[in-house]
Amino acid sequence: MNPALLLLIIAVPLFASAMTVIIRARVFERALLLAVPVFVFVFGIVLLVYHQQVPVIAHSVGGYEDGLAIPFVSDTFTALMLTVTSLAAFVCCLFLITTGEDQYRFVPSLVLMMLSGVYGAFLTGDLFNLFVFIEVMVLPSYALIAVTGTWRRLGVGRMFVIVNLLISTILVIGVGFVYGAAGTVNIAGIAAIGHVSPQLSLAVGFVLVAFLGKAGAAPMHGWLIRSYPNTSAGMMALFSALHTKVGLYAVYRVYTAVFGQPAPWAWVLVALVVLTILLSVISAFGEHRARNVLAFTMSNGVGHILIGVALMTAAALSAGMYYLIHHIITMAGLLLVLGAIEQTYGTGAFKKLSGLARREKPATVLMVLGLFSIIGLPPTSGLWGKVGLILASASADRPGSGIIITAIVIGSVIGLMALQRMWSNTFWGKDMTIYHPDSKQTGRAPATELTDDVRIPNRLLMPGAIMIAVSVFLFFGAQLVIPFTQRAAEGLLNITPYLEAVLGHV
Amino acid sequence: MILAVTVGVLTAGGVYLLLQRSMVRAVFGLTLISHAANFALLASGVPAWRGEPLADRTDIAVAADPLPQAFVLTAIVITLAVTIFMLAMAVLGHDDDQYRTPETGEAHQQ
Repeated sequence: MNPALLLLIIAVPLFASAMTVIIRARVFERALLLAVPVFVFVFGIVLLVYHQQVPVIAHSVGGYEDGLAIPFVSDTFTALMLTVTSLAAFVCCLFLITTGEDQYRFVPSLVLMMLSGVYGAFLTGDLFNLFVFIEVMVLPSYALIAVTGTWRRLGVGRMFVIVNLLISTILVIGVGFVYGAAGTVNIAGIAAIGHVSPQLSLAVGFVLVAFLGKAGAAPMHGWLIRSYPNTSAGMMALFSALHTKVGLYAVYRVYTAVFGQPAPWAWVLVALVVLTILLSVISAFGEHRARNVLAFTMSNGVGHILIGVALMTAAALSAGMYYLIHHIITMAGLLLVLGAIEQTYGTGAFKKLSGLARREKPATVLMVLGLFSIIGLPPTSGLWGKVGLILASASADRPGSGIIITAIVIGSVIGLMALQRMWSNTFWGKDMTIYHPDSKQTGRAPATELTDDVRIPNRLLMPGAIMIAVSVFLFFGAQLVIPFTQRAAEGLLNITPYLEAVLGHV
Repeated sequence: MILAVTVGVLTAGGVYLLLQRSMVRAVFGLTLISHAANFALLASGVPAWRGEPLADRTDIAVAADPLPQAFVLTAIVITLAVTIFMLAMAVLGHDDDQYRTPETGEAHQQ
């Protein structure tokens, strides 16, 4: 395959985004909104297969000399992320179309632009270019958070923008320091230096702090918890599948490439992992809306995924990547099912929802499976996610692996209780008699009597059902995915093919 | 040295403004911090080299490093765009010093 074709993954969404601004026909917009993720999904599958023969392909943009040009690189990890995020984006777009949110002003263009930023961040092999693509990703989300959701969005929108710009500024300062310390911002170029000077270590530390902030790791998770639940459910599912995962991808890529082995301060990462896992599940008890609770489980997942880099063995990285895939799929599924409930009943608040288990059989089944998956119970992908992480921690001969196992187990038990509280407050309890349906004129109609024919339409549940089905499929078919995560983890640890592809020499 | 002090002063002022309640002050604070970031980026390219980075006009030994300048240019563009968006939000949203909900056209209870 010609490596220059990688650019299509970025160019096609960007071009589609521009086209939806010019041609404002509903069918056209919807077709592009669905076709672009499908295109990248197929491309990702092709790359996954292709990387079995050629582990890394790289293209130096503009034909400049390797090492000077901005490289776009694809290896198994990149291809895996492209495939999974495209699947999640496709399903979320399906949900946005079903609820009609794609008809808000410029939503298709903004979503497509965001996708091109996400794909660019996965593909680029240059730190500054990574910063630019992260900006391309978050800029549309500033607008998206302002057009959908409750009126609270305007207040949190400000906080979202300020925090994200501040983190971006820290990132850009860090990139500057890296340039000063290493003389290059090419990730392969930094890795090729071989030894990490204290200055470079500090500079990369700056960059990693920014990535961890973007990923929503404790203690920098407050912005995520406060802002995401106030946008609409479909948008939250899209953000959760794309934004924090780009931050995590960047942590995996940069940390492993620069250090090559656990950094002297790897205990900081272990502490962050434990803090993120425990803080988020305990905090979830204080929430009174279903999606706010799920925002905390999102942050909890970030802690689990970071175990891969905190331990940095092949098994841990592979397990972390599997958890990353599982988390993208499960969170999207849960959020979309909750979105269908909110769309029908007009609220996600505990005090207004009750007894849904008797009314909504299909949604109940999906919700149970989704919650099982998040906690890590069979028959869902979550079981292998957590088992894999515990096994990897147990086999890793690193300080702190015992603490991590303890945190995973305690975090799962507390998380189970927190989600059980959400479950009993919404799906169990007395039958509902009144509800507040959405009104096209005022946004929220007054309390209306709940009749028997008010049911969640199947077309609203379908996107969530697809994702939950994928999660269940990953329980039975984990054998299909794990070889890929293992190969991706080996690619991160044995960086020689990456350097050869990007720099043309080692 | 002067560059380092400038970065320090800008960051200090930016952090002070960012901690204020008002949105407009927060925006100014972020502007100062991003200026500090720009200076930090420029500093990474050895500020003593001042020549134009053009191979046929300037001796390579004194030519400035063009890469940090390109970084700064990109960072400025991004920050400017976000600053304008934030100023728009400051106008659209609620007044931070009072309790008043933003007017979004939707009916809602206080």
